[in-house]
Amino acid sequence: MIISWIYWVIVVLVILLVVRCLYEEKSLREQLVAAMVLIPLVLRALFIK
Amino acid sequence: MEWFWPEGMYTIVMVGVFAIASFVFKQPIAVALTIAAVTGALISGNGVPIDHLVEGSFGYLDTILIIICAMIFMKTLQHVGAMEAVAAWVTRKYRHRPFLLTMSITVFVMFPGMITGSSTAAVITAGAIVAPILLKLSVPPVKTAAAIAMAAIYGMAAPPVNIPAMIIGGGIDMPYVGFGIPLLVCTVPLAIFTGMLLMYPDLKRIAKSGKSENGGLENELKKMAHVPLTPRLLLPIFVLLALLGGERAFPSVSPSFGMPLAFLIAAGSGLLTGKKWNPYLASKEAVRASLPVSGILVGVGMFIQIMTLTGVRGFFVVSAISLPAWALYLGIATSMPVFGAVSAYGSATVLGVPFLLALLGRSEIIVGSALSLIAGLGDLMPPTALAGLFAAQVVGVENYFKVLKACIIPALVTALWGITIILGAQFF
Repeated sequence: MIISWIYWVIVVLVILLVVRCLYEEKSLREQLVAAMVLIPLVLRALFIK
Repeated sequence: MEWFWPEGMYTIVMVGVFAIASFVFKQPIAVALTIAAVTGALISGNGVPIDHLVEGSFGYLDTILIIICAMIFMKTLQHVGAMEAVAAWVTRKYRHRPFLLTMSITVFVMFPGMITGSSTAAVITAGAIVAPILLKLSVPPVKTAAAIAMAAIYGMAAPPVNIPAMIIGGGIDMPYVGFGIPLLVCTVPLAIFTGMLLMYPDLKRIAKSGKSENGGLENELKKMAHVPLTPRLLLPIFVLLALLGGERAFPSVSPSFGMPLAFLIAAGSGLLTGKKWNPYLASKEAVRASLPVSGILVGVGMFIQIMTLTGVRGFFVVSAISLPAWALYLGIATSMPVFGAVSAYGSATVLGVPFLLALLGRSEIIVGSALSLIAGLGDLMPPTALAGLFAAQVVGVENYFKVLKACIIPALVTALWGITIILGAQFF
């Protein structure tokens, strides 16, 4: 159970870092890639899947 | 033609759209894969199946987390100066012994691939460090890039983490256990052969001529060795070995953290090395470096989900199983590296599983290991060419096809070695 929550924290931290990279990225194409990576991470963090 | 219709047509359209999107419209591979997946769904009459696309994006979520956390670990090693210190120490110690230097550099480049399961990680961390050393030692840039790319691919296939093998095993519910020795047999001889082919002749010539004493190299080594190599500096590596090794050696005693957490704990121990570094900056760099590969994995997941939805994946399985033996081996040796144009992981998923099913009855672990090795060659295949393109960039070679040409012999030998191991698997 504790491990599950630790992994939830890891996923949230990764989301924050990806969002940060997304904002700092100037190329729209690379922003699209970052947004794609966010889809499963955000859904996992929200316990939707 | 009945066997080909309509799944074969869907395959051609999906692969064609992917190629056009990436080659002609210069879209990132991840985006090109998504466009191809949506097109495949549309032409098969499934509309735009958002649920399937989202489901597919989850296919490699665990792999993405492993790669990101492993990259954070590698960036930690870079930031504390451990990678450069080791590279400088090895070069100083063995520069007059070309064979040992060749082997040390090969292992050094393989190491990040071994622990992250990603050839890109190996190229952009260790590859970027050894590239200037090899260039200073007069190894031609094209050969340097080829040597780094091939070592990174062997690192990706070597134990303890081989993601294509995990994917192939997952396809037939085979746990990732017992792969260590087969994967070493698959990769070590090839790593030695490739190092001897691409690096050794130039390193030997330089060692004989005494030019390895040149000032340029010494300056480079001084720059790299700004932190002295001490056991404390290597603490993150020891912690990682204890966490991953302990879990396998003493499963009843050692807690099971999972790879991402083990990498993060090991990276955290970098704070105890005595060297000042910024963990936030290292993590941000790591995530930025991981994004292209992570994006590709999300795209591959969607692509494969739509292949499954439209029956294309089943078409591959049935075609693979019905192939005669000679065509099966030829198909493995050619189609798996070529499909790597999408991604080596995609190749393992789409082709690795049907080929393993077609070869059931032999040692599945050995066959799976060999298939993962051959799938790894896909990282040389443009337009993705994760290992090759990054290696060319790291060295500064603009025309990637020159690097690809230098990789042809090692790649052919790798495919042949993989097939030989598959043939030999019937005796185990």
